Amino acid sequence: MIIYKEVCVGCGRCQPYCPAGAIAFEDMKSVVEQDACYECGNCLRVAICPVDAIHDSPQVYQYPRALRKYFSDPCATHAVTGIEGRGTEESKTNDVTERCGPGEFGVAIEVGRPTLGMGLADIQRITRALARSGITEIEPQNPIHSMIADPATGDLKVEMLNERVLSAIIELQVTPERLPDVLRTIKAVANEVDSVFTLDVFTTLEPGLTIPRKLLDIVEAEGFTWRPNAKINMGLGRASD
Amino acid sequence: MTHSLHREGTIDSLERDYALFIYPARGFNYKGCAPKVRRLVEIVYQAGPVNMIATTLRHNLYSGVRPEEVLDSIKEGSRVFSVFNNREGIKEALKGFKAADEGISIVVSGLIDRVREIALEIGLDPHTINISLGVHGGTDRLPPPDIRQFTTMCGHGMVSPLLVRDVIRRINSGKISSWDGSLVLAKPCACGIYNPHRSAELLEELTPLYTVARR
Ligand code: SF4
Ligand code: SF4
Repeated sequence: MIIYKEVCVGCGRCQPYCPAGAIAFEDMKSVVEQDACYECGNCLRVAICPVDAIHDSPQVYQYPRALRKYFSDPCATHAVTGIEGRGTEESKTNDVTERCGPGEFGVAIEVGRPTLGMGLADIQRITRALARSGITEIEPQNPIHSMIADPATGDLKVEMLNERVLSAIIELQVTPERLPDVLRTIKAVANEVDSVFTLDVFTTLEPGLTIPRKLLDIVEAEGFTWRPNAKINMGLGRASD
Repeated sequence: MTHSLHREGTIDSLERDYALFIYPARGFNYKGCAPKVRRLVEIVYQAGPVNMIATTLRHNLYSGVRPEEVLDSIKEGSRVFSVFNNREGIKEALKGFKAADEGISIVVSGLIDRVREIALEIGLDPHTINISLGVHGGTDRLPPPDIRQFTTMCGHGMVSPLLVRDVIRRINSGKISSWDGSLVLAKPCACGIYNPHRSAELLEELTPLYTVARR
């Protein structure tokens, strides 16, 4: 994003809207710090500027900077990686797609959330740690999959590493036998990450919205607790195509 | 990804916060789904949501979109996200969905125990659960939990902690009311699940406790 200095009247209204804290005063005008900006589009979308000084910068769709927009702007449809969106439909349509069947577990690691944002090098820290532990089952429908240069090492394509985005999700499908290893690896790499990440697991339910004991036992054994609120697929979907 | 399962807050506050998603599955039930989704959205309206968005618009009910525009914008593959501030409302919507039987995936984000009760009461058998195992890494760099109660209500992280502080400052200095401050915070949410009623309650609780300087 750029702010046209000659147009800006320095009212400062746009500054608190920026989730990256990337807009600050310089010579009594607002300026976007380009390295910190996620290209999320929020400052433009909220239409707060009284003089229309905020605009998409000409480089916003140039690769690799376009990755910023793609992973940060909820309204962006430009697909550098050829896959729409930050993540996949994961558990949301599982009653129809059955991607995660009974007794199988899905894991999602969303780096940069809540709030902090991250450099794509942080994704590499996690994909490398997973690869070192022999975990390479990254969901093929997820954009991260196509960003990995070498699945054996978890290395991302090198030109991506300096880009900063609001968040990106690493998704895995794992068998119950592999889940403890995955959780242990994620716990160990947490200290290396220069941001934060949310961790979630998903699985099919037993009757009466009963969470499979096996999943909870593994989660507890690895020293994790789970929150009282969750995302629940109500089982009302069916395939019709 | 709406991130709705990582909403933060006390149990008492989360009792008044249920996000609801209508979600066709690409390659499985996209064909001819537009009228079905539209019918489901009509059911949502009847149940009284406190916010809503259709993925075709990316503007929520507090950023200049009229309810009929949401309905008109629905086409094949549109997903619709909404939020309720009470148990009765979400139950009403789910009851209507069950009766309509349109075969489109429906997801609720909320307290597991409450959703379980509601499902039992109306005879639904939920299929899949996504559980949050919390936040990890450099958590000491996060804004404090009370600010995160607001920022995590926007599923895409578009509500900046700086804006929450700015709104608290404006309420404290008598410039705006808690409700108007809440609408300022709801506006950037491009996933339509920011709950302005819960946010106004939180602002009323919090603003007397804070002095927020302009940075
Ligand atoms: S595009 Fe997003 S990150 Fe960049 S200046 Fe605007 S609000 Fe901040
Ligand atoms: S809102 Fe517009 S005029 Fe005001 S500081 Fe920002 S860019 Fe400048």
